[in-house]
Formats: sequence, C-alpha cells, structure tokens
Amino acid sequence: MQSGYTCHRCLRSLIGTPGAKSFARHVRTTSVYTTTSKRPYTQINGKTRAVTTQQRRTAATAESLNHRVTRNAPGDLKSAAPFGGEEAIKSPERVLLQSSNLFHSFSNSPSPAIRKRAAFMKSHAYCPHPDHRQTRIVTSPHDPEARKTTKSIHPPAHVNFECPDCGLPVYCSERHWMDDYEHHAEICDTLRQANEDDHDLHSGRFFPEFEYPGPQIEEILPNMTNWDTYLYTREYNAINEDRSMRQATRLLTYPMTIASVIHELSPYNIRSGGRLTTEGLKSLSALRYSLHPPRSGSGLGIEGLRPTPPAVRIFILGARAESSLPRQVWVQLEYLFHRCPLHLIFIGPESMTNRDDEFPLPERTATNPFGGIVEDRISNYTKITTFVEYYHTMHQANYFQPFDPYFDCFVLFHPGLGHPASAHEWEETLPQLLETKVPIICTGYTDWDMQRDKKWVEEKMAGEVDLLMEAGENRFRSLRWDLNDLDPGDISAGNWGVWAFRGKRYETTMRDGVISL
Amino acid sequence: MGILPRSSYYTRDNRQTAALIRARQPYLVKNIFTGIGLTTFVISVYAFTIKAVAQDDFSDVQIPDAPEQPPHTPHTGTARAPEQISVRGTK
Repeated sequence: MQSGYTCHRCLRSLIGTPGAKSFARHVRTTSVYTTTSKRPYTQINGKTRAVTTQQRRTAATAESLNHRVTRNAPGDLKSAAPFGGEEAIKSPERVLLQSSNLFHSFSNSPSPAIRKRAAFMKSHAYCPHPDHRQTRIVTSPHDPEARKTTKSIHPPAHVNFECPDCGLPVYCSERHWMDDYEHHAEICDTLRQANEDDHDLHSGRFFPEFEYPGPQIEEILPNMTNWDTYLYTREYNAINEDRSMRQATRLLTYPMTIASVIHELSPYNIRSGGRLTTEGLKSLSALRYSLHPPRSGSGLGIEGLRPTPPAVRIFILGARAESSLPRQVWVQLEYLFHRCPLHLIFIGPESMTNRDDEFPLPERTATNPFGGIVEDRISNYTKITTFVEYYHTMHQANYFQPFDPYFDCFVLFHPGLGHPASAHEWEETLPQLLETKVPIICTGYTDWDMQRDKKWVEEKMAGEVDLLMEAGENRFRSLRWDLNDLDPGDISAGNWGVWAFRGKRYETTMRDGVISL
Repeated sequence: MGILPRSSYYTRDNRQTAALIRARQPYLVKNIFTGIGLTTFVISVYAFTIKAVAQDDFSDVQIPDAPEQPPHTPHTGTARAPEQISVRGTK
C-alpha cells in the first residue's frame, strides 16, 4: 500500500457498519504472544537489566502491522460521521488520539486492542518482585528472575498494578511496586515511551514515515553511515520527529541490517574498529561480486540479450513476524542493488506469523514439495518465498543445493542460538549451515545475547567457525523499544546487535613435507 | 508554471529541517574546516595578486631639484639668438 491514508472503500465500509464487530474484522489479534518466545536482557541508558523468560520473543510483532490496520480504526471508533472524502480524513475529528494525548494506562486505553493486551499481560505476566518464588529458569546473570532466591516465600502472582508513571501493569500490587521502585525506575521512562509509541500506532494519524521511496538511478550512492544519512540519500520523506523515527526504523531495520553488511558501501570495514575480519572481507567480496554486477550492455530485444547469473538468495531462517512485513519494506533492499535479482526465502516453523489471511498453505506437490508460498509479482528483481518448515528438513532433502558463497547468504534475526529455550531447535541446523561455507549474518537483542550465541556456536562446532564480523551494536538497529506482552518489564530493540560467521575454510598446508588440506 | 518540486528536507521558508541537520552531522566539523581552508586559500591568492599588480612605490628614489631657468627656453624680449641670424643670412 503506497498511500499513507486509508483507501476510500475501506473507510466507507467501516463507517457503514460502526461498532466493535467491524473493528474486530480488521484488527489482527495478538495471538502471536501465545507462541513460545525467547527473552534476552536489555541494556538501557548504559545500565544492563536482564529480563528473560523461557519464551521466544516474536520480532516485529503484530503491532508492526497495526499501522495498516489502525488507519481503518477511527472510522468505527467514532460515531458514524459523515464521510466527506479526503478532507474528512485529514480533519482532527478523525484522529483518535492527538499527539499530546498519547499517554494512557494500558487498562484504560481508548483503544480496544491495547486494552486486550493489558488483559493478556495481567493474565500471563508474573510480578518480578524478589518476594515471589521463581517461575522459570534464570537465563542470564542480568535476569531479574535471579533476584528471586530460595528465601522468597510468596507464590508467584500475576501482574495487576499499573505503574502511574509508565501506564503498564508491572507489579502485582502497589506495595511491591513501591518496594521495588528503584529497579523499576531504570526502565520506567523507556516503558512510558513504548506505551506512547504503541498508542501512536493506534492514534489514527497519517503516517508519512511509512511511505517509502522508489528506485533511484545507479549513480546516486546511498550513504549507510547511520539512519539519517541513509534516509536522506535514499530520498525518504524527512522524518523530523523522534517518535516517527522510532516507528519507521522498527520496520526498516530488517532489510537495512542485511543491506548494511552485504552492500559494497557498507559502513563495516577491516580497519581496527570496523568490525569486519579478513575472512569477512573475503566472504563479502564474493557476495558483492554478484550483488553489484558490471554493466553488460543488455537492453531490450534480441540484441540486448546477455547471459544473466542466477539470483542472489538470502535465506532468512527462524523467520517469525519479519516474513509478514509489508513488501514495500523488503523491496527497499532491492533498490540498493541495481541489476541484481534477489530471492528472499523465509524458512521457519513460525514463518506465517501475522499472515492469517494467506492460509491455507499451498498443497505439497511434486513441484512444490514443501508447500512454499511464492510471491514473484512484487517487483522486477525480487521474489519472496515462505516455507513453514524447519530448515534442516529442507536441507536434508537437498532442496536448495548447491550452495554457492557467491550467491547465497543466511540471515538469522534474533535466533537465540544459545538460549536454553531455543538452542535445541538450532542444533541440527547449525552444522548444515556451516558446511555450506556460506556467510551467516546473525543479530541479537543485546551484547550478552550475542556473546552467548557466539560461545554456543564455537562450542558446538568445536571451533570450526570463522568469524566474519565481530559482535557489536548494529548501526541500523530499531530505535524503538518493543514491549513483550508476556513480561512487560522485558523490553527489546529489534536487531540491536549484529555479527556474522561462516564454516571454517582451510587453505592447503604442508604436513610432513606433503601438501594436504 | 506549476508547482516546483519541494524537498521535504527544507521547510516552507527554506530552512533546514531537523532531519537534514542530523544527516549532515557526521560531516559538519570536517566540512567547516575544509571551508575555512578553501576560503583562506582564495583570500590569500587574491591578496597576493592584488599586491603583485599594484603600482610600484618610488618614494625611495632621489629626484634632483628643477633649475630656476631652463637653458634653451626662448626669451620673452626681441633680441634674437645668434644661431638663428646666421641661418637666415641669404634671405
């Protein structure tokens, strides 16, 4: 959807049938939160505060799609106003929440979707006060669950009391909240910001930050030093407000994290502090050879035919909600690479999160043995395929072979490789990924998360791993802090950090005077 | 003539927006120094050139004083100079 406004047909249909029923038809319910999710710790304002549950966090959750939905919302949340065309949409009465009125306690929110989330939190999240017994295993030294010792005698209680400063249900009672205030104060400001950002998505305003630019001529070089230079050189609409910047980067972080590593104008380099290793430069140079093909004199007609190489395949494994991102967001990746066909392949058991209207999945036939949804009409150079399957199954079936480090790349968004809840799922996949010798780009919620993943990979593979890029903060991380409905105190920024690795390559060496591998 | 395309990075009064200032931020200091360097170079070239083509200063050269009566100036009276009478001897 190109326009920032609701289309006339949608708006008319909403106004025609006001009430909760039509709203429910358009709102994606937050059923994603019932799936197992992983929780890493968060680092805010330099203070590390770990909040982990056994649950796997779903990235780019349902909220990311609400921006498409909530522009329909004002139609029926207000009483049936006369539909006056574009002017009616722009006039203030159609905006549910003004920008000065974005802070509401979740339980008393004007938006029914947020009230539903508050109810979910109150029935699923546990109070983090140390007096309660532990409800799950401690997953990191920064985990607040670690504060609950054997001396804690109270049974675990669901959160009920909403902090008046941040509006989220974070403790079971006011007494516990007051008692634990100094711990809560570390994240209270950020929680309030997340609260306001969530209400902003439901406010019904016009979102110029969700309008994306088209392709540019090849001579315009995108500057990928940071978000601001990228947005300026790619000719996005100017994003002046911080809140708009947070909303925009939350979605764009997914294609931009990939692009910032593999593009030839990547900000990561082999100088000290540039985080790329020599092996990394070798792998990425191979990939860039395909991503930036030289002009071949091709054109229309028979005389313009040139042999074209196969598409560059980017496998996004363990895909969750990122496969449901609007296609205009993924196509931004394509606009950075000229004349290079891209094939994005989302593989994972949860890869159809938030894509309920695309069910039922295609049947598994001989030509499509894994029932993948193929979207090849998105643009001239992009094809997106989604498989709901574990990667190791498809690898064993030799479905994608042969792999070529000049064409293929694996991307893992917050995989939780070393996280106790999800590590067993990656055990079978990891050796297969390393054997292909294809670069694997991995992101993580926090520095500790990434170091744990790195240690797990090195341990599991007995050191047969080459580090391509050192773990560190991602320049194109999401600037927005997302809430975890299963634990409101656990906030995360999507793709906070990025690192890359690959199966170890050996050159020939001399052994006992004989050349060997 | 129609609407000219406007960049969203400038406000209606052609001031830079916050987005543009943030985008320029990594290069601001380096650009300022480059600008200062170029400007000083240009100014110094101008200064040198203007100084080089300026008029010479001869104030240190001694010019002798002019005499009260120059030697070959014609008299104001009727007496003729002797050379002139001898030339016109035949007429």
